[in-house]
Amino acid sequence: MAATKFDAIVVGSGMTGGWAAKELTEKGLHTLVLEAGRPIVPEKDYVEHVAPWEMPFRGMRDRKKLLQDQPIQSLCYACEETNAQFFVKDTEHPYTTEPGKPFRWIRGRQVGGRSILWGRQSYRWSDLDFTANLREGIAVDWPIRYADLAPWYDYVEDFIGISGEALGLAQLPDGKFLPPMAMNCAELAVKQAMAKHFGGERVLTIGRVAVLTETHRGRAACHYCGPCHRGCITLSYFSSVNATLPAAEKTGRLTLRPFSTVDSLIFDSNTRRISGVRVIDSQTKAALEFQAPLIFLCASTLESARILLNSTSPEFPSGLANSSGELGHNLMDHIKGGGAKGILPGQENRRSFGNRPNIAYVPRFRNVKEKQAGFLRGYGLQGEADQEGWDRGTISPAFGADFKNAISRPGHWQFTFSGYGECLPNHNNFVEIDKNTVDAWGIPSLKIHCAFGENELAIRKDMAIVGAEMLAAAGAISIQPFQDDDPPGFSVHEMGTARMGRDPKTSVLNAWNQAHDIKNLFITDGSCMTSSGCVNPSLTYMALTARACDYAVDQLKRGEL
Amino acid sequence: MDRRKVLKLLLASSGLTAMPAEWVAAFRSVHADLGSASAPRILTPRQDATVGAMAELILPQTDTPGAKAVRVNEFIDHIVADWYSDQDRVRFLAGLADVDARTQGLFKKDFVDASAEQQSEILRALGEEMAQAREALATAPRGYRGADPEPDDNFYFMFRQLTLTGYFTSEAGFTQQLREEIIPGRFDGCIPFEARTPSKSS
Repeated sequence: MAATKFDAIVVGSGMTGGWAAKELTEKGLHTLVLEAGRPIVPEKDYVEHVAPWEMPFRGMRDRKKLLQDQPIQSLCYACEETNAQFFVKDTEHPYTTEPGKPFRWIRGRQVGGRSILWGRQSYRWSDLDFTANLREGIAVDWPIRYADLAPWYDYVEDFIGISGEALGLAQLPDGKFLPPMAMNCAELAVKQAMAKHFGGERVLTIGRVAVLTETHRGRAACHYCGPCHRGCITLSYFSSVNATLPAAEKTGRLTLRPFSTVDSLIFDSNTRRISGVRVIDSQTKAALEFQAPLIFLCASTLESARILLNSTSPEFPSGLANSSGELGHNLMDHIKGGGAKGILPGQENRRSFGNRPNIAYVPRFRNVKEKQAGFLRGYGLQGEADQEGWDRGTISPAFGADFKNAISRPGHWQFTFSGYGECLPNHNNFVEIDKNTVDAWGIPSLKIHCAFGENELAIRKDMAIVGAEMLAAAGAISIQPFQDDDPPGFSVHEMGTARMGRDPKTSVLNAWNQAHDIKNLFITDGSCMTSSGCVNPSLTYMALTARACDYAVDQLKRGEL
Repeated sequence: MDRRKVLKLLLASSGLTAMPAEWVAAFRSVHADLGSASAPRILTPRQDATVGAMAELILPQTDTPGAKAVRVNEFIDHIVADWYSDQDRVRFLAGLADVDARTQGLFKKDFVDASAEQQSEILRALGEEMAQAREALATAPRGYRGADPEPDDNFYFMFRQLTLTGYFTSEAGFTQQLREEIIPGRFDGCIPFEARTPSKSS
């Protein structure tokens, strides 16, 4: 089949692909977006209002089918009975790991990618994060600072709508927020206790979340049904299906092609540019080729690395744009699994109403103002508070009318702190092509080598201690600290496989997310990250994407690409 | 009201305070293609009756429907047939047979033929044994996120788990007994329990 030409090609339609599509089309480029998965039609595919009694397994999920088709995906909390179709079939998407070094690769292949499924927590990085590698002599320095990204955070936040509370903390810069969501009884109690006991060093705030608390740019306010990861017919949370792709569509310059699995990129050794994208039609398996003078790779951290590693040529025998040898290396994911839970006596006669799609949050406080012993960097803690429900009646020996009514009332308030911690970049955490393992389309898959190190494990331990400390300060009882051995990948914040840097010898991308080796190739998904910070990363990926698009179009117009 | 009108209204209404029932109906009609309960697959009529009687004793009809009225027995049959592992299915069916054996031993009748007081005596004995099984786990390792270890292989624990799940995820259990709503339309953080929304008549 003859190649088809566009002004730009974006690989992937998820969190960053959606932003690239919006920015490039709005700047006048006829843009092709290649998405490996199926189309998503909100009216048909979103399932957030399916009631439990309409589910064959009443929310317990089709256990046997999941075990057979999606044994890895179904480990993710967001993979529910109604929405398992938003996650890939593991049987079609194999990957391998080393014995004793598990990695959970959670994937969504459809228009919108994992932006349909994300946790929506949205926090800015600060210079504490951007300067960390340089200060500590770890990996390489970021080629940008907060000042470079701040206007792009503003720009992205203004479009997507983030509700939250301004705190004035240097380590967690404020944005322009929509009104914050309310806290529930237990969160208010813990917030007050923390203010009293920790002198402003540790604070509890309501999560900054990409869910609208008022009408914003044509999208409706949240109606508090709860399960955003099943979709949202009122478009109240941000996803590329709900916001960026429609904006791109509106320009009339978007060509969105679902069922287009990218096999590899084609390097032209004369122009030293990417000349085209090799695609396998996901349904017919026909080989296709598309061309454009500008390529944005937004396929996700591991998929982008896989595409480049599968794109070898005489000039790049170990993977495209890999003269540094860092492609596929420095894989990071936030460490989680540490925290504590407890019961907060009192206020049993009060409740909350509505299903708030948000948690409470303790911004990082370790190694902020002064260096604390034990580990480098830090973590944020999510706080989840609710009341015991009817399920507490399972273990009770009681039965009858009084029992039925008693467990229908909410019980004690319970509060769980759980942390997300920074993961240090490490060259030895890497992915490579496993030539013996191919996916359902015949494309060689990845072998993932990744394990947390001593610093991450020390952070996880601290999360449990600190969580218990804060619950104790709030007067909680039955406090239970925990340190679960959640493997890398399970935070679904994987990043770092094509890092940005100042030196082409030690990094894949420059300060504009442009490949050092190939001028018309930009990579703006999580693979670009030079370090991991400790906050949820999507907002930063989006800001980097918008910034890179601005630069790329400018360069294109100047004839520099 | 069609969906497009609902969306228009939503877009026009910033600071929504309540979601009219007709909107909810309109939303729901969008996704109304999921199947309903099927005929018993694994339980014999006798076992089905035992399950129904036990479930109703745990969650009886009050001013709201009980376990039988919301057909918890059908849900239990479905889970035992299509969700349980082979081992759990064997364990569950053996536990059910044991219920009749106990009732025969004490009262020379099967469970379904026993009086309410006799049936209650059986449940109290099962409850005591479940409590002992849990007691035995006091020093067992905790589960994920510090979860309490539970007597997962105790028949009565399994039975209660399915009964409560089946009941409170049923339409009547959810909307009438718990007075929950699929689309609350607002979030109140901390209000008196009594300030919750009134019960739906349907």
